[in-house]
Amino acid sequence: MAIIRTVDLTKRFKELTAVDHLNLSVEDGEVFGLLGPNGAGKTTTVLMLATVIKPSDGTAVVGEFDIRKNPDDVRQLIGICFQEPKLLWVSTPWDVLNWHAKVCGLTKQERKKRVKLVLEDVDMWDHRRKNVHGLSGGMRKRVEIAKILIQRPRIAFIDEPTAQIDVIGKHKIWNMIRELRDEGSTIILATNELYEADILSDRVAIMHHGKLLICDTPKTLKDSIPGGDIVEIRLEDEAAQTLVTELRNFPEVADVVETTTKNLRIYLNRVEEVVPQIMKLFLSNNLPIASINMAEPSLDDVFVHYTGLTIEEAQQKVH
Amino acid sequence: MVMRTIWFVAQISFFGLVVSRLVVPELKGVYFQYYVSGIIIMMLYSTSVFIGYDIFEEAEHGVFEYLLSLPVSRRELVLGRSIGGGIRSFIFVGPLIVIALAIVGVANPISFIIALSALFFFALGVSGMSITIAVALKSGDRFDILMGVLDALIIRLSTVMYPQIFIQNASQLYAAVARFNPVTLASDLFRWGVGIERYLTVTPLVAVVGLVGFFFAFTFVGVTIYEKRLEGGGWQ
Repeated sequence: MAIIRTVDLTKRFKELTAVDHLNLSVEDGEVFGLLGPNGAGKTTTVLMLATVIKPSDGTAVVGEFDIRKNPDDVRQLIGICFQEPKLLWVSTPWDVLNWHAKVCGLTKQERKKRVKLVLEDVDMWDHRRKNVHGLSGGMRKRVEIAKILIQRPRIAFIDEPTAQIDVIGKHKIWNMIRELRDEGSTIILATNELYEADILSDRVAIMHHGKLLICDTPKTLKDSIPGGDIVEIRLEDEAAQTLVTELRNFPEVADVVETTTKNLRIYLNRVEEVVPQIMKLFLSNNLPIASINMAEPSLDDVFVHYTGLTIEEAQQKVH
Repeated sequence: MVMRTIWFVAQISFFGLVVSRLVVPELKGVYFQYYVSGIIIMMLYSTSVFIGYDIFEEAEHGVFEYLLSLPVSRRELVLGRSIGGGIRSFIFVGPLIVIALAIVGVANPISFIIALSALFFFALGVSGMSITIAVALKSGDRFDILMGVLDALIIRLSTVMYPQIFIQNASQLYAAVARFNPVTLASDLFRWGVGIERYLTVTPLVAVVGLVGFFFAFTFVGVTIYEKRLEGGGWQ
């Protein structure tokens, strides 16, 4: 069941069209990745869905409410973890979270309990009385994430959760996002980190220049690249041409390149299904395999396939 | 706060004392009390305007988007900011009101409490006005200039420093503006509260109704502007 559905959602800032007739739906309980370079329109989309800014055209239904007609009701369902931590005028992580919990309607008793629990979860308990402006970037980001964990909204928008975070911090935040999903929140994850989108998202929508290029599961997206998987096989003897032809006849195989007489590079799709068949073929032809190496395409390859640019190149073009 | 307290003390200790000796004979003996009461309203006005500057600071730090994403209505948000601004200015001005009362005295405590309650609406109204202007302009420089101009006009075309009868003698137009100026209503009400009833422009009831109306008007306008200007396209 779709919990978010956008209909030609568009946002223009004077001449710039930040989001251009976006049509997508997010299923209840999934982690939905919005992937794209900076300037792709991810944050603007999130801000529109969160009723922070109004669309220029089109609309979206969040939960059962239209963002144009019932913004107050939409805000009861959502929570945002912003790209840049918003730490308010209060001075300590405890105060920031306590204030947030208060505004979200938690009772004093609940607040005290949940703020403590979450501060411990994000490893900020020992820093709870420090001035937020003296905290490191990673710590500030954890306080920002903690807001969502305290609120436990039905729909959580998380914008670039691990930007400027070290590797250990990234893993902690990824685990927190998974826990939030396991507790029943639907998560919209806006990111330009391909690996992050790949490992966390149930489905990924790739945006570029404000437009939706494609939306599906990471696996389907990767499989959608013709010959995206690569299998390199080193044989103990030379491969017969009939075998190469047979390999080319597999519907999943896009191309077979003989790099040497004993080395074959096979470009194909759905590698995990096809490799056993290939092995069977070699065995039935009494052709021993010395080694086999497989490489799957990444979401970066998907992005390149649909835009002709790597995500870094796309970002450089924006700047 | 320290700067404004020094300003207040300097105004009444030097300017007020000297000017009260320059006034026409009929104001002699009452002008100093009249002036001290007016200065309190001036302070209340200028501290209530502070909230507009806070808005720019919040916008600069991106806190605005956070506030707009919270599960509260725009009306609650504007009202919350206005009330917060009003309470803060009352806390700032509270000790100065005590000093003023020590100088002027209180003839009738009930009148004073009524006046003080209505002045709270004045502080909320000014905070609402400041928020409205800040959000409408979305520019710290333009806000600063406009508030400077507004301060010059709204204070001088009011009965903060001189009674309505003298304004009328100078210009009918000035008098017409001063009559409907919320600063006049607040000054008159404060003076009525402390027992200076000689030069009131309007009756206390009219002043109370006017200030409550001022508060509601700017809260309503504030909500509308908030929605139009901010939800329409963010801060920039």
